[in-house]
Amino acid sequence: PYPEPSVRCEVVGWQKVLYERQPFPDNYVDQRFLEELRKNVSARKYQYWSVVFESGVVIQQLCSVCVFLVIWWYMDEGLLAPQWLFGTGLASSLVGYVLFDLIDGGTGRKKSGRTRWADLKSALVFITFTYGFSPVLKTLTESVSTDTIYAMSVFMLLGHLIFFDYGANAAIVSSTLSLNMAIFASVCLASRLPRSLHAFIMVTFAIQIFALWPMLQKKLKACTPCSYVGVTLLFALSALVGLLTISGVGAILFALLLLSISCLCPYYLIRLQLFKENIHGPWDEAEIKEDLSRFLT
Amino acid sequence: MGLLSGGAAEAGQGQAIPAGLLGPPRSRRLQPQGSAPRSWIPTMVLKVFFPSCCSSADSGLLIGRWIPEQNSAVILAVVHFPFIPFQVKQYLSEVQKVSQVDIVVLGTWCNNKQEKEENLGKFLDDLGTIFSHEPWLQISKEKGSKFWSCHTLSRQADTPTEDQVILVYYDQRKVMLSRLHPPEISLDNQPGVITAPDASKLAAVFDTVAKSEVLFMTDRYDDGPIKLTHWQSEGVEASIIVELAKQASVPVCMLLTGLLSLVSGLCKSRIFKFWPVSFIWSKLSTCEQVRYRLEHLRFVFSNQKAENQNQLMRKANIFVSLLVDVALGILLLSWLYRKNRIGQLADALIPVADHVARELQDLLQWLMGVPAGLKMNRALDQVLGRFFLYHIHLWISYIHLLSPFIEMILWYVGLSACLGLTVVLSILSDIFALLTFHIYCFYVYGARLYCLKIYGLSSLWRLFRGKKWNVLRQRVDSCSYDLDQLFIGTLLFTILLFLLPTTALYYLVFTLLRLLVVIVQGLIHLLVDLIDSLPLYSIGLRFCRSYRLAAGVKFRVLEQEEGRPLRLLMQINPLSYGSVVQTYRLPTYSCYPKDTWGSLCKKLFFGELIYPWKQKGDKQD
Amino acid sequence: MTKSHLNMAYRRVNGPGQSLTSILSHNNCGIHQPCRTGTHNICMVSDFFYPNMGGVESHIYQLSQCLIERGHKVIIVTHAYGNRKGIRYLTSGLKVYYLPLKVMYNQSTATTLFHSLPLLRYIFVRERVTIIHSHSSFSAMAHDALFHAKTMGLQTVFTDHSLFGFADVSSVLTNKLLTVSLCDTNHIICVSYTSKENTVLRAALNPEIVSVIPNAVDPTDFTPDPFRRDDNVITIVVISRLVYRKGIDLLSGIIPELCQKYPDLNFIVGGEGPKRIILEEVRERYQLHDRVRLLGALEHQDVRDVLVQGHIFLNTSLTEAFCMAIVEAASCGLQVVSTRVGGIPEVLPDNLIILCEPSVKSLCDGLERAISQQKSGTLPDPEKIHNKVKTFYTWRNVAERTEKVYDRVSREVVLPMDKRLNRLISHCGPVTGCTFALLAVLNFLFLIFLRWLTPDSIIDIAVDATGPNGAWTQQYSYSKKGEENKEISESR
Repeated sequence: PYPEPSVRCEVVGWQKVLYERQPFPDNYVDQRFLEELRKNVSARKYQYWSVVFESGVVIQQLCSVCVFLVIWWYMDEGLLAPQWLFGTGLASSLVGYVLFDLIDGGTGRKKSGRTRWADLKSALVFITFTYGFSPVLKTLTESVSTDTIYAMSVFMLLGHLIFFDYGANAAIVSSTLSLNMAIFASVCLASRLPRSLHAFIMVTFAIQIFALWPMLQKKLKACTPCSYVGVTLLFALSALVGLLTISGVGAILFALLLLSISCLCPYYLIRLQLFKENIHGPWDEAEIKEDLSRFLT
Repeated sequence: MGLLSGGAAEAGQGQAIPAGLLGPPRSRRLQPQGSAPRSWIPTMVLKVFFPSCCSSADSGLLIGRWIPEQNSAVILAVVHFPFIPFQVKQYLSEVQKVSQVDIVVLGTWCNNKQEKEENLGKFLDDLGTIFSHEPWLQISKEKGSKFWSCHTLSRQADTPTEDQVILVYYDQRKVMLSRLHPPEISLDNQPGVITAPDASKLAAVFDTVAKSEVLFMTDRYDDGPIKLTHWQSEGVEASIIVELAKQASVPVCMLLTGLLSLVSGLCKSRIFKFWPVSFIWSKLSTCEQVRYRLEHLRFVFSNQKAENQNQLMRKANIFVSLLVDVALGILLLSWLYRKNRIGQLADALIPVADHVARELQDLLQWLMGVPAGLKMNRALDQVLGRFFLYHIHLWISYIHLLSPFIEMILWYVGLSACLGLTVVLSILSDIFALLTFHIYCFYVYGARLYCLKIYGLSSLWRLFRGKKWNVLRQRVDSCSYDLDQLFIGTLLFTILLFLLPTTALYYLVFTLLRLLVVIVQGLIHLLVDLIDSLPLYSIGLRFCRSYRLAAGVKFRVLEQEEGRPLRLLMQINPLSYGSVVQTYRLPTYSCYPKDTWGSLCKKLFFGELIYPWKQKGDKQD
Repeated sequence: MTKSHLNMAYRRVNGPGQSLTSILSHNNCGIHQPCRTGTHNICMVSDFFYPNMGGVESHIYQLSQCLIERGHKVIIVTHAYGNRKGIRYLTSGLKVYYLPLKVMYNQSTATTLFHSLPLLRYIFVRERVTIIHSHSSFSAMAHDALFHAKTMGLQTVFTDHSLFGFADVSSVLTNKLLTVSLCDTNHIICVSYTSKENTVLRAALNPEIVSVIPNAVDPTDFTPDPFRRDDNVITIVVISRLVYRKGIDLLSGIIPELCQKYPDLNFIVGGEGPKRIILEEVRERYQLHDRVRLLGALEHQDVRDVLVQGHIFLNTSLTEAFCMAIVEAASCGLQVVSTRVGGIPEVLPDNLIILCEPSVKSLCDGLERAISQQKSGTLPDPEKIHNKVKTFYTWRNVAERTEKVYDRVSREVVLPMDKRLNRLISHCGPVTGCTFALLAVLNFLFLIFLRWLTPDSIIDIAVDATGPNGAWTQQYSYSKKGEENKEISESR
């Protein structure tokens, strides 16, 4: 039924075109079949230590959550005076604020066009609203069972860790949602504290550690990587020490978690990279590499 | 490409696949035997509709109408011998002028009672040349047998044919009086019942008979030049009374119309147009009902003659419904004003209202505690509870202020029963609404609060996810918020979320109460609507004279024999009660909420207010 | 002969509600004859058909028409579109079944793999179908039909109209399903060589059973008309759905870039879609309301009138299996500028198309080349281009080649149940293979149950509208009756 490719045809040779009637059957398979197949075109080679460095963000965020929980525990137990925490928080915020501008010499501030007056306004808004609402917060969850609150807080903090913007370009990332979840958790936990002043200071502290601290970190990482590593190590250590004072087992587990994330996971990533086999070819949907938003701004 | 042209050229009506494909092979009942399509039958067969009252008439001429499209002849009367052809023609033209039906001589009728008239047949044949009609019918009844014969004679082929005639007997009186309704109900499963496709043909027959009423006016004992046999009305005497009533009704109608226009003029006067009055006016169902009844009265007693049968029916229906309504009202009146029942009622009313208020108080106390073990926000709970308690307190003092006048109010209100039962019921519904005003207030407060919360929560939930509602594009967009916006938003979100159960519980309880009230009011309105809209006259007609409302006809086979015309008896199929109500239902002012169940639930969930009565917005539509 | 005439008469009497089945079977008892050698009873199955518009839809329609012309019996099965349900007849007796199945997403029906079996089996039996030809891998109904046809032991052919990547999770899943669906299909048709490579890789097929048969364009519909265009300015035409996959984002960069450079350049954009908004924003931003016309959705018959108004046709697709649009544009005598993606390089010879990389810069360069050629007048005459293009792709040729596939398939054996199960398990991996083998067994049992419920012998055989015994094709000899038929059908 099918005309066998004759000798003359082989001289002509098969072409990968549709507009010419070629003397080959329709199901002819040429030598050049799949010659444009490519593998692992966009696969990246990773360096171990750079991956470890990048994992610092995750470590930082885990430690933030840990520190927050530790502080809350101290407050709940009455071991930590709220005034003291407020004072420390305010001082470290001021230091951080000065550092924030010093690190890049004020170029970041010029780029964003944000005035100091706006910063002050934001700070005032935080403090007045939190202070105004703190009595409400105090009575908000008193009829809800403590276990429910704990479960909700854990759920929200996990969500915070999952949706946090660690720098990966994925659909799941949403820094807004992540921050909101953290605030929600802090409000829940703060409502459990003995007095409304405690609640106010706890929420303020949550803003400092979940909203302001990552901003400073980001800048540190971009401008002075060495000091960033130092700060990360210091922060992790302090979180561990804090946890140790509450529970030794918890501290050990947490240390193991941090170690596995910063050392073991990068190792596995590099190992598994060898098995990657990604097929590419002309059928792939082309990617638009340019930034097209410039035409619309 | 050709696809679109293909679409244009696509042919044929789709058939529902499940029925056509998966069902068992259909019975071929509707298919005629052999392969001849049924639509050919009417073009072949001549149908003669013969009045059954003429079957024993003396021989003579058949007069009636020829319907060429259906190849059928409707015979209306028989003209007896002797007659003068010219006079017959003149008479027919007169009748034609009055009735607008072209009545002609269709053929001859031969009732072979006497042997001696044997030779009459020949004479009858010759008549065909005088009254030319195409085709010329010759129907004869043989002596001593029930067999009839029917010939048709046409000019072209002078051979009488016999085989393709169907004789259909009909009761002239019933057919004249009955109204054929479009067959809404499928009568498929009854054998021999003509349905939809043939309805228009039957309608033509019915129409012909009904229009030729003039023909039937001539009395049997008239000494006119022409002797006719047809159906005759018997009760001439009774009709005199009817005539008298008709004469008398005109001035009565005039008087009533004048009065009515005065009343409605009063209603339309300026006073009722000012804001608070007009608002209350539109919310009270009593006013709606009175207005509705006024309209009815005006319609019934208007001077214009009813244009068609439908309007006549409607007038009669409204009249009967008014009568029944008023009769029921007076019955109630007589019951109420005997033995000081009004006083008893008034005495009972105040304690009932008090009792309801007390129950509500208890309910609020319960809600302020730990209702059903639910953990609510204590502070908010207390605030809401006290707020509502204060309202009840206000309500009770208002009722007590009112108590001395209640009996008097009721007494005067009771008088309105002479306007009809529906008016009393509407007033009852209004009083009920007034007495449960506190529940309505609670419901509105609860719903507003709840609605606000739901609305706030839904927009804050979008903020929580870093999204916002884009009003211009009607969709949710992602948006980057400032840090302080996020913080305050989340703070409020948390607070609202934890306070929601408290508000929701209050809302739920008061909504249930409100729904109870709405249901009671709805039941009363349903009753009012029933009395308003039930076509009592039509139902009575259907009950007593079932042939007056015809849904269709059925044929009974009288005889069927080879070589003889098929004889059928046409009987009228009365309309079913359901479709009587459906056809003649009187339009009412509908006060039901127009929501479906789904949208009602949605409204309840989102805390939108539900009204039992029409809303302002609906009215303008 | 007069069957169809009688049909029509019956339908007139009985009204639309009356089932045709009984009548058809009544007339047709004992007419069941084996079909003439060389002709097939083909059933095209796809979710996408008229009144939906697109490449797959017109492919199915045109191919069916040409196959009918060649003497085959063709029916089409699709799902109901709104009020359009039941059986419809299109030009030259092409019978279309619009089945009452629920549409789930994007006009594709929901699949449970079983619920469509009763309907499809009934159709396959009553139409005496021998070859099932499914279209489009997006169509759930097409895959269902393949599955059922294999269970019933019918020959199967599948045409793939689209390309798919391998990178993301969703494509991993869909490719797996395609593997299952195609692993025991007799033959697969792809519309371009790139598409063939893609399908072979996705479904892990033997390339020998995959034929390449391109789409076609009706050249008489797309004729050049140089007088319709305004030669004082240069007009660039874009006709495509305004979605991301068609590269509308690239277009939104090209328009301001070129409009700023050439004051005598106009754009006409035909089509509708979610990306329309960004084109409108660009137009607003650069004040180009008089130079960029957005026509909105176009009817297919209006496409040619739009095309002939332009000098250059621009296609910015990011992925494309065949791309009919550029053939249509070239047939209208336009210079085509397109991205080099998918099967596009195979479609037109180099002198008719300027291929660019999918970036704003490269496309602008390509367009500028075309503009300078247009200005210098070195572009070939539209009539010449048309005469050349019209020889490339014709539906008759497509039908001929498809017929060869049918001939080949009809000589093949359909895998019996045991071999089919073996193949499923060995070819699709242990988990998926076993799952679908189980489903195949269940489907087979369901089929046996249905056969017991309504045996094949009592299913009425439908009248052939087309094919060797086609009532429709023979009716033209009785011209009078034919006219009457037409009249009736129009009055319906």
